[in-house]
Amino acid sequence: MTSAPLGGRHGAGRGGSIYDLGYRVYEGPRLGRRAAVAALLRHTLRTAYGLGRSARSKIMPVGLVLLATLPALLAVGVIVLFAQFAQSDAAAGAADALSPVRYSTIFPFTAVLVFLFSASQAPELFGRDQLANTLPLYFSRAISRSDYAVARMLGLLIALLVLVLAPQLILFIGRVLVASDVMTGLADELPQVPTALLVGFIIALLVGSLAAAIAALTPRRSYATVAIVAVFLIPNVFAAILVSLDIGLFGQLAVLLSPADVLDGVNAFLFDSRADNITVRRARLEGWTYLVAAAIWTAASLAVLLRRYQRLAA
Amino acid sequence: MIHRMPVVAITLRSLLDRRRFWLMLLLAAVPVAITLLGRVLGDVTFSQIVFDRLVIQTVLPLIALVFGTGALGAELEDGTIVYLLAKPGRRFRIVLAKAAVAAGLTIALVLPATLLTGLIVATDAPDIVVPTVAYALAAVAGGTAYALGFLTLSSITSRALSIGLGYVLLWEGVLAGLLPGTQTFSIRQATLGLADALQGVDGETLDAGTSVTVLVVVILGSLALGSWRMSRYQLRGGD
Amino acid sequence: MTTEAPSQAAAISVEHVSRWYGNVVAVNDVSFSVGPGVTGLLGPNGAGKTTLLHMIAGLLAPSAGEVRVEGRPAWRDSEMYRHVGLVPERETVYPFLTGREFAIANARQQGLADPGAAAERAIALVELGDAADRRVGTYSKGMRQRIKMAAALVHEPPVLILDEPFNGMDPRQRLHMFELLRRMAEQGRTVLLSSHILEEVERMAESVLVIYAGRLAAAGDFRSIRRLMTDRPHVFHVRSTDDRRLASELLRLDCVFGVELDAKGLTVRTADLGQLTRHLPRIAKDTGISLRELRPTDDSLESVFAYLVGR
Repeated sequence: MTSAPLGGRHGAGRGGSIYDLGYRVYEGPRLGRRAAVAALLRHTLRTAYGLGRSARSKIMPVGLVLLATLPALLAVGVIVLFAQFAQSDAAAGAADALSPVRYSTIFPFTAVLVFLFSASQAPELFGRDQLANTLPLYFSRAISRSDYAVARMLGLLIALLVLVLAPQLILFIGRVLVASDVMTGLADELPQVPTALLVGFIIALLVGSLAAAIAALTPRRSYATVAIVAVFLIPNVFAAILVSLDIGLFGQLAVLLSPADVLDGVNAFLFDSRADNITVRRARLEGWTYLVAAAIWTAASLAVLLRRYQRLAA
Repeated sequence: MIHRMPVVAITLRSLLDRRRFWLMLLLAAVPVAITLLGRVLGDVTFSQIVFDRLVIQTVLPLIALVFGTGALGAELEDGTIVYLLAKPGRRFRIVLAKAAVAAGLTIALVLPATLLTGLIVATDAPDIVVPTVAYALAAVAGGTAYALGFLTLSSITSRALSIGLGYVLLWEGVLAGLLPGTQTFSIRQATLGLADALQGVDGETLDAGTSVTVLVVVILGSLALGSWRMSRYQLRGGD
Repeated sequence: MTTEAPSQAAAISVEHVSRWYGNVVAVNDVSFSVGPGVTGLLGPNGAGKTTLLHMIAGLLAPSAGEVRVEGRPAWRDSEMYRHVGLVPERETVYPFLTGREFAIANARQQGLADPGAAAERAIALVELGDAADRRVGTYSKGMRQRIKMAAALVHEPPVLILDEPFNGMDPRQRLHMFELLRRMAEQGRTVLLSSHILEEVERMAESVLVIYAGRLAAAGDFRSIRRLMTDRPHVFHVRSTDDRRLASELLRLDCVFGVELDAKGLTVRTADLGQLTRHLPRIAKDTGISLRELRPTDDSLESVFAYLVGR
């Protein structure tokens, strides 16, 4: 209801309006489901890296990314130094060949960091809303329960992708720029890029969905953190022990039941390189079994995640 | 009913709550389960790895982390610490009581697990007895050091759980491999060194003297630092 | 009572105390002393009441100034807690303990000789006898406040500090609490309680400390404070046999700001109470008007508070 001017008379200084400032219903355009999901995705990403929050919440995620890029930075640094001092491509090439840091070995180096990141951030992303009881607020909007779970999951996935691919990116850029001719450098490095991207995606997906599923199961973030660490750590040791016993099938099963080892296997298989992990080497499984295992782990985790949010009381 | 030491009783009650305790019990049972499995499958030679990697390097620090950070952390976070602070007597007694509970619970879970693990294969491989006892004792000392260290950490920062995890996984895990010098500053290495020394084995770990020193320094230092911190603890926020 | 007596150590003495967190000043150069009886610390949320109470309770160090309880500095003096009982604002109490266990635990930590009996007495005082064996986690908000009270009273301290003690209590419980605290005060104890609810403080406290935005806006008996605020008009309601005539006479006085005439009588605003009370009877006598009713309309804590806060 809008105003009617006070007094109706012309002139003589009369006139003026009183406006109704009471509650009004929003009648304008609404952006709908896609925009809502996109907004949640953006928010999830920002929370994963502590953006828009105090400095304290940035320490872990940003610190872990920096640590993850360290090996790559060091490797590139070494190559550059060799190229400088040796003044010949052959020497730089040799340094490169000797370098333990390559696209295929980046993940084994940074695996722990990836697990730590997921253990530290996934509970934040999935547990907070449960603890603070803000889920009803989300579900009474255009977002459906599955939308919420998927949006959060996607956010975690992208956050992990950044962590996993940052070192690869640095390695790539370093090696291309160090090469005497950028074009040949690119030609040398590019073939590896799709593999690196694929492996990175699989890692982020598996770690992310597993961490998400665990984090979604409990509002208490510290439980989730320990549980996530445990699920990567304990089966790993378990598998190491069983494999060292050389009991064939059991050992192989144990390896496939250990997400950390599965990822190592995937990494080795897709890069067609020798696995860094003794357990994986000893298990002598066919490469594709790791891919299947990874797929099963991911699918199961996502199923648990979606089901949890379908059934959560909110 | 609350008995003689109210702080001990309250901490014990709060740590033994439902899920947390059962999860930790589950964790402690893992080495036993593996050994049982191995026994069934006929091989008993691997126990050393179980003790070394599984018990000392994984289960022990994780359990100590949960109990150590939980003993004080919860009260600091929700403000109920005021009921302990607004009482006569030195703050040291509060820290000591909580440390006793955290270490005690850790030991209560890990010690039987270690002994049981050895027991399962003892009949077939009697020479496992010495390592079992050695690792058990080392776990007691190491568990105490871990629990107290994490307890003190939780009195300093509210992110003690994540930082403690980072310490165990990164510092003691990854870094120890890369930079041998850090081994002296690692509770894990000290515990392993103690275990080796008690067995009379000369492993690649720290020698007996250094191991014991490290553990003692961590235990006493944690108590001292924790007491100092709690005696100056300021209750902020509110209003 | 707010006392200036330097001969005895006041129960609580706060001297030029400030507390800041970085750039934010929570308490700004506050000085007062508190003695036996009930004193109310009044202020809106965020004024610094809890910060001030935490400093008095020795749980927070002042950034500047001195806080003394019974003559000794409050910060880092754990023996003080034998004489001080604190009822904190935060609701959370160990949910897994029963009320009785919680009271006994507090009694034991105080080092009492017979913790069980002391706990029973305290529980009886707060009338939680029936619920004492239930877990605190099942308590209502008001019950939790009462068990916190019991825990603070278990060692019968001469000084009692309560932060928003009536939060969540229903009127009957509040009344009971009033009585309890009054009794404590009559026994000679020092009771300092904070609140942002004026009616409570008005009923309970003999003297009042008004704190706003970290500063002490006023201290003392609120009626005296009122009288000290000479630059704000007192408002009176007068009924007489000839209101209109009285109104025009009153408007002649310098000390009268405004007069409002309505069916119920006159509402007179004056800057100087003393002058008005001298003039009014004289006017009445000279004009032959009889005064039927004369009462102040704003001598409540509310108006005092509103004025101080608006300053």
